[in-house]
Amino acid sequence: MYIKAFLFCGAVCAISQYVLEKTKWTPGHMNTLLVVIGCVLSGFGLYDKLITMFGAGAVVPITNFGHLLVTGASEGYKINGIIGLFQGVLKNASAGISFAILCAFINTLFFKVKD
Amino acid sequence: MFLKQFLHYIYKLVKNNNGEIMDNNEYDKLVKSIVKSENPIKNILIAFISGGVMGVIGEMITRISLNYFEITKSDAYFITFAILVFVASLLTGLGFFDKLLSIFKCGLIVPSTGFANTMTSSAMDTRSEGFIKGIGASIFKLTGSIILYGVIFGLIFGLIRGVLL
Repeated sequence: MYIKAFLFCGAVCAISQYVLEKTKWTPGHMNTLLVVIGCVLSGFGLYDKLITMFGAGAVVPITNFGHLLVTGASEGYKINGIIGLFQGVLKNASAGISFAILCAFINTLFFKVKD
Repeated sequence: MFLKQFLHYIYKLVKNNNGEIMDNNEYDKLVKSIVKSENPIKNILIAFISGGVMGVIGEMITRISLNYFEITKSDAYFITFAILVFVASLLTGLGFFDKLLSIFKCGLIVPSTGFANTMTSSAMDTRSEGFIKGIGASIFKLTGSIILYGVIFGLIFGLIRGVLL
């Protein structure tokens, strides 16, 4: 399992490094593209298979963020139709976003930019 | 390449305006001193190894938290995410993250550490402008695009997934 996680996560990083080398993109472009790719893969149910195959290797990359958004939206759709789609889209990803915001805010209060 | 063209353009501009012509060798030296030649294959290899190590670290944290606490697998994945985000945010605050980033390249951008780093650094940059106009306005400066396009594509493909599966 460790080897699988190493290979998958490494492959995603290597491909994005290749794209960054070949184009003039910033890491921001790359992260957005990866989230969209995660959404597309998850929309057709492929990302669940990747997670069962590669374990945390598929969870660590930012593509998993797209997967969480799509699963939340589809679970909401099954419960409450179109309204549920909007209720559920941030449900699963909420934990991650809130925690990242909290960390960023606390660190901003404690540290100053060194130059 | 882009930088080289840009410098060439500036060189032409200087030449036209002042009539002072820079020697060709001198110009080449200037370009070489600014554009550090980095081997792309080496960078890709570094990104592969460092990204793989991040995956292994994530797998280890997941295994450990599954063994020590009685939680579901998705909760264990959240703990993994939380620890990576916390460490990356702390390192950004301390100012080490940029140095690590220049060594390990994409291996730290693609995992959730990159998400935490962009969020923390854009908040820290405008800290001096106050809580509302500084931190509040710019905390989502770069990560906002991730959330925006994530939500829009999440809605579209969530609908597809809800109908298909």
